[in-house]
Amino acid sequence: MRYLRKAIWVVVAIIGALGLAMIATSRGEPLNAVWLVAAAGCIYLLGFRFYSRFIAYRILELNDRRATPAERLEDGRDFLPTNKWVVFGHHFAAIAGPGPLVGPILAAQFGYLPGTLWIVIGGVLGGAVQDFVTLFCSLRRDGKSLGQMAKDEISTLGGYTALFGVLFIVIILIAVVGLVVVNALKQSPWGLFTIAMTIPIALLMGIYLRWLRPGKVLETSLLGFVLVFAAVLGGRHVADSALAPYFTYGGPTLAWMIIGYGFAASVLPVWLLLAPRDYLSTFVKLGVVLALALGILAVRPTMLLPPFTRFVDGTGPIFAGKIFPFCFITIACGAISGFHSLIASGTTPKLLTRESHARMVGYGSMLLESFVAIMAMVAATVLQPGVYFAINSPAGVVGTLPADAVATISSWGFPVTQQEMAELAGKIGEVTLFNRTGGAPSLAVGMAHIFSNVLGGSRLMAIWYHFAIMFEALFILTVLDAGTRVGRFMLQDLLGHFWKPLGRTGWYPSIILTSSIVVSAWGYFLYQGVVDPLGGINSLWPLFGISNQLLATIALCVATTILIKMGKTRYVWVTLLPLAWLASVTMTASAQKIFHPHPRIGFLAHARSLAEQLAASTIPADRIALTERLIFNDRLDAVVTTVFASLVLLILIESGRHWWLYVFGRKQPVLNEAPMVLSKLPAEA
Amino acid sequence: MVRARTFLQRIWEIAREVFGDKAYDRYAEHVRGQGEIPLTPGEFYVSQLQRKYSRPTRCC
Repeated sequence: MRYLRKAIWVVVAIIGALGLAMIATSRGEPLNAVWLVAAAGCIYLLGFRFYSRFIAYRILELNDRRATPAERLEDGRDFLPTNKWVVFGHHFAAIAGPGPLVGPILAAQFGYLPGTLWIVIGGVLGGAVQDFVTLFCSLRRDGKSLGQMAKDEISTLGGYTALFGVLFIVIILIAVVGLVVVNALKQSPWGLFTIAMTIPIALLMGIYLRWLRPGKVLETSLLGFVLVFAAVLGGRHVADSALAPYFTYGGPTLAWMIIGYGFAASVLPVWLLLAPRDYLSTFVKLGVVLALALGILAVRPTMLLPPFTRFVDGTGPIFAGKIFPFCFITIACGAISGFHSLIASGTTPKLLTRESHARMVGYGSMLLESFVAIMAMVAATVLQPGVYFAINSPAGVVGTLPADAVATISSWGFPVTQQEMAELAGKIGEVTLFNRTGGAPSLAVGMAHIFSNVLGGSRLMAIWYHFAIMFEALFILTVLDAGTRVGRFMLQDLLGHFWKPLGRTGWYPSIILTSSIVVSAWGYFLYQGVVDPLGGINSLWPLFGISNQLLATIALCVATTILIKMGKTRYVWVTLLPLAWLASVTMTASAQKIFHPHPRIGFLAHARSLAEQLAASTIPADRIALTERLIFNDRLDAVVTTVFASLVLLILIESGRHWWLYVFGRKQPVLNEAPMVLSKLPAEA
Repeated sequence: MVRARTFLQRIWEIAREVFGDKAYDRYAEHVRGQGEIPLTPGEFYVSQLQRKYSRPTRCC
């Protein structure tokens, strides 16, 4: 039996190596995606089997005889010993967001290889480690949050750094995902109708769940899904009918609609709109991720995008900058995501029945998330490179007219024609696919291509495309409304220290005020991104990536501190290596976004070049106000980036100071774990 | 055939738990075990939601 198990792992390693070899030796001819998926899958399996086990038993010393907080503090509500797979499902549903779907699509401008390598290596050695260790640390501290752990284990300064880091990341995250949705839905009556319908459907579900069948979430989600699918099918008829103009809007109007929606969803009772939409989106999200995996295995598409493109030189149209640091910043959640550490120190640690479950839940679910990123990368590569760039390149870079765009892109060595683009747009039921930046439309085209090859053929491509857009927009809007609500709670908590009534979470004047502040903050960045001629993604996505990696830096600093306090200093490289990498990527990206002389990379350089044009009177009169606003936005973005970079430096210096003190015996490490109590649960079979 | 159905039933049960369908039953059982009166399903559902959505629950 032992030999059989060892033999299986040898086979896994061989398949993985074979996949990597195929990728390495495929000079020029397009490779089948199955090799990429197989290589990634095998590396994940090996990482889980060997690396996570090493961390679990040699470093963290998970002990199943130790009672978890779920057992010790069971209260039937938050602390509840739960089946390992249910916790896995909960946790994965919580961490799975739009990041691993959008990031890889954008990073594919460098070719599929840089992004893929980072997704796999960063996931196995960085993200999964961060999630696992953070979950463990919170588990041993009765479910304390990351902010609380930063305060208790590092210092009060560490705690405040975490608090402000979280507040900022929530604002930027919502703005950026809002931009992705706006770009996916502009000039698309079919898309907007479908998404608009999810609101009354959610209201119906909310009332059903509140009054008719409280708590029967699964059946309600199924009903909601059927209705949403009907909306996807009905959207075509609306788009072809006289109602179409009522659902056709440009970017700025859509931005206002989303701002209004975010405000409404966060102030209305949570059971009415927010929660039902969340159930629906979780249901759809989990189903579609599974369907995409099966679809890729069934279709075995060829990857048409090359492993490297010319844009490794830093002149990429989708976002400017070289692979280091921007490929890593762009992929963010697909490899390492600081936001996951908030989830891992949230409700999940309070559900674990045994310590050993933390390995599958923490490490395993991040690997699955990383795998989702791989699938998104594959979906990007099934498009002709010319088509991929035509969809994702902003008009400000390739030209506003389709003729200019195809000329520019073809001149880069990625042939594409207007006819090809028009045919594709017709097939998927959209007016145009040019300048549909943000990653979501090209992901949807890739998914539609895969799904239609499994079921329905090219006649159903339009349905599949709009189904994919609905899937993405659905759970992006959940991030938006849930995030606004969380931001509102945090702000109420903060302001409550200055004036008590503001801290009362049920008091409507406080709710309205704080929600308005949070919505205005992200709404401003969203609007700025929508009117930006360079496409918005170029400036906002790096801000999001940097802030996300900042939070990951905080989480890894907390993890490293705790490992040292546990007496595991000689194993501290496990968290220190990803931390060092993250710090160098984040600081380099921040420095380049602030100071780089190229206007497409550096915010200040861009502001300077616009200011020079204003001074030389080369800007047409009707664009002067816009230009002044763009200059202001560039400077604001530079300030925001400076704030993030400063917070990273602060936490690194503060943590590093404490590590020095502990390692050289100047300060006694105090481990703040909950008391060790023996578990009374029967041993697992 | 029977094994396939049991497997599917197991998946369905896990899905129900992930979505929180059984949350009220577990809560009521725990509270009654402590000798107290549980909230009604409607009250429990609303209070759970308010607790859940007051902290980060959905990621990037």
